[in-house]
Amino acid sequence: MMTELWDLRVDKIVADLKEGKRSDGRKVDEMRKVEITPEISKNAEGSARVKLGNTDVIAGVKVVLGTPYPDSPDEGSISVGVELLPLASPEFEFGPPSWDSIELSRVVDRGIRESKTIDFKDLCITEGELCYVVYIDAYAINHDGNLFDASEIAAMAALSQTKLPKVEDGAIVKGEYAKKLNLKYKPILNTFAKIGNVIVADPTLSEEKAMAARFSVAVMDDDNISAMQKGLGGSFTVEEIDKAIDVAVKNSKQIRKLL
Amino acid sequence: MAGKKDELVYVDSKGKRVDGRKVEDLRPIKIEVGVIPQADGSAYLEWGQNKAFASVYGPRECLPKHSASPYKAVVKFNYRMATFSVPDRKNPRPGRREYEISKVCGEALERSIFVERFPNTQIDVTVELFDSNAGSRIAGLCAASVALADAGIPMRGLVCGTGVGKAGGKIIVDLDKTEEDAPDAVDIPLAIISNTKEVVLMQLDGILSKKEWQQAMKMGIDASLKVHEIQKAALKARYENVKGDDKK
Amino acid sequence: MAKRLVVPGELVTEERKKLGSHVYISEGKIYSDSIGLVDDESNFASVVPLEGKYLPQVNDLVLGVISSEKFAGYVVDINSFYPSFISKKELREMLKPGSVVSAKVLKVNELNEVDLGSIRTFFGGEILTISPVKIPRVIGRDCSMLNVLKAGTKSNLIVGKNGWIWAKGGDTDLLKKAIDKIGAEAHMSNLTQRMSDFLGVKQQKNDAEYIEETEEMDEYEGEE
Repeated sequence: MMTELWDLRVDKIVADLKEGKRSDGRKVDEMRKVEITPEISKNAEGSARVKLGNTDVIAGVKVVLGTPYPDSPDEGSISVGVELLPLASPEFEFGPPSWDSIELSRVVDRGIRESKTIDFKDLCITEGELCYVVYIDAYAINHDGNLFDASEIAAMAALSQTKLPKVEDGAIVKGEYAKKLNLKYKPILNTFAKIGNVIVADPTLSEEKAMAARFSVAVMDDDNISAMQKGLGGSFTVEEIDKAIDVAVKNSKQIRKLL
Repeated sequence: MAGKKDELVYVDSKGKRVDGRKVEDLRPIKIEVGVIPQADGSAYLEWGQNKAFASVYGPRECLPKHSASPYKAVVKFNYRMATFSVPDRKNPRPGRREYEISKVCGEALERSIFVERFPNTQIDVTVELFDSNAGSRIAGLCAASVALADAGIPMRGLVCGTGVGKAGGKIIVDLDKTEEDAPDAVDIPLAIISNTKEVVLMQLDGILSKKEWQQAMKMGIDASLKVHEIQKAALKARYENVKGDDKK
Repeated sequence: MAKRLVVPGELVTEERKKLGSHVYISEGKIYSDSIGLVDDESNFASVVPLEGKYLPQVNDLVLGVISSEKFAGYVVDINSFYPSFISKKELREMLKPGSVVSAKVLKVNELNEVDLGSIRTFFGGEILTISPVKIPRVIGRDCSMLNVLKAGTKSNLIVGKNGWIWAKGGDTDLLKKAIDKIGAEAHMSNLTQRMSDFLGVKQQKNDAEYIEETEEMDEYEGEE
């Protein structure tokens, strides 16, 4: 795939959007079809593959034992990471994470952590001594835009499947589970691209190349917001963000049904 | 089968293994070609519990320039495992095992590719395992070879292979994790080029007599050719299953 | 003619035939080096590949996209192994990253690096893509497929041998669907007829096969 083809394509995208047309026929506030396949890895405590249009991400959960932090002896913890594998794009390389990949990881983490969907007290085994540490890792397999939402949905899908391992005498008993991980909420991340003066939901790769600014918001089951991020060098008006949040609330309801 | 590890009968008197296979049987293998639209070539492979994606980008400009060769394409192979692909969470950063596997797999593929036709370029091959249970490097390598064919990179033949070795005193093909843990286990990851049967990858862990090794080679090559049939069928399926009669 | 699908390392023939492309000899037998089609009835042992990157040849017409500007010229992406370079002296106008040009391949060196000439710039329109090895099917014998595409979409097209196609005007969305369909069915027979049906065009000429078109492709000059 060529990387510099964007001038003509950008012109066409901007011109078509003025008439409300997107190249795949979607409306500006419409998301692509979401396909979720659970149970990708038997070695994971929970895992799922999510396709958002052609964007493809696999996420998995491993639960390990750890010691609670001294200032929160009755709590466990979570860690969320997203890796932009070189599988997914000619532009991704192995090596130290790029700033793009770090931002993506942190935004996905924020959406999940700040919603308090996982009660860290649920992860405590023995106060002050032993707790569960839940690691969620998402891996990009194919990049056709909006790895943000695809990764967050994949992470939530994997968490929805997750079972906490049984613990005996301070060690995990392989193959046996204590209980399902309880999720209080299902926050859904919604990302928008600003192209010209039009805000589109769930941008494809071509649309991302044409965008001047990006905005992501995580919406919870009760329509509250648990994370936001504005990205890239362009800007949004407050009204644009306001409208985007409404679209996000609407779209989240559809996606949440699939989890 | 007996419960304790050292009471496990790896191959019983009827030639049946712990999971019911015969000594020469492979675990089930499934291959899908062209699963990553962004890539020049790609494949997804399931082998027993192993689940691997392989992508190929190239030949393309070799960077950094000092790593380029004026005589041939440089094959850059990266084998990685997802943190949740193993029973105990794997550190996301690759370790020495991944680097060694990347090296021997890249060298295996290099012999199969007509690298001299693309001097000054690099061919990036990435293999990622999302689940594993013994034999992951060969699973990844077989997927990578299919991905190279999907990318239209000219090759002498496909690289196919299998693990072969010993457990419970018998030579067996495609050891799974239970068999790899046998007290007398020997594991030989083996890969060949399909038509010439040249060995392009071979490693060995364990103790074998030369006669046992010869038997293992014979069984390993026969089994590798069975894997080749699956690779061939997967590549051809992309073209044989297209129907042409849709209207605008 | 009998068309057989082969994969790398698969036997093409054990007979002593003349060697065509994408084959190699090992121990007296001729094997394929790619996934492609073989005509067993031909006098040549040859494989027409179904996948592959663009391998530049002298006199090819290619489409290119400027990727960056240097002091003396522009780096241009031509969908091959490396980008190429266009000197500012060759141009009558300024270009910028993203500008689209067509060019003729003047020279190819042993590293597959390319010298370009006869640069033309384009404005507007868009670029559609297909695997370079399938471009002969987009043109067709005697430009038959190209005529079907133009008639069915009323678009102007310039087809680059490097798999990039510039299109402007007419129904370019339909054209994109048509190009994708050719890409998916390039290996099948009666493609020109099927594309005529798909686009609602009355077909004039006889159909040709993938292998024939690749071997006998006309010198395509790229007229609009």
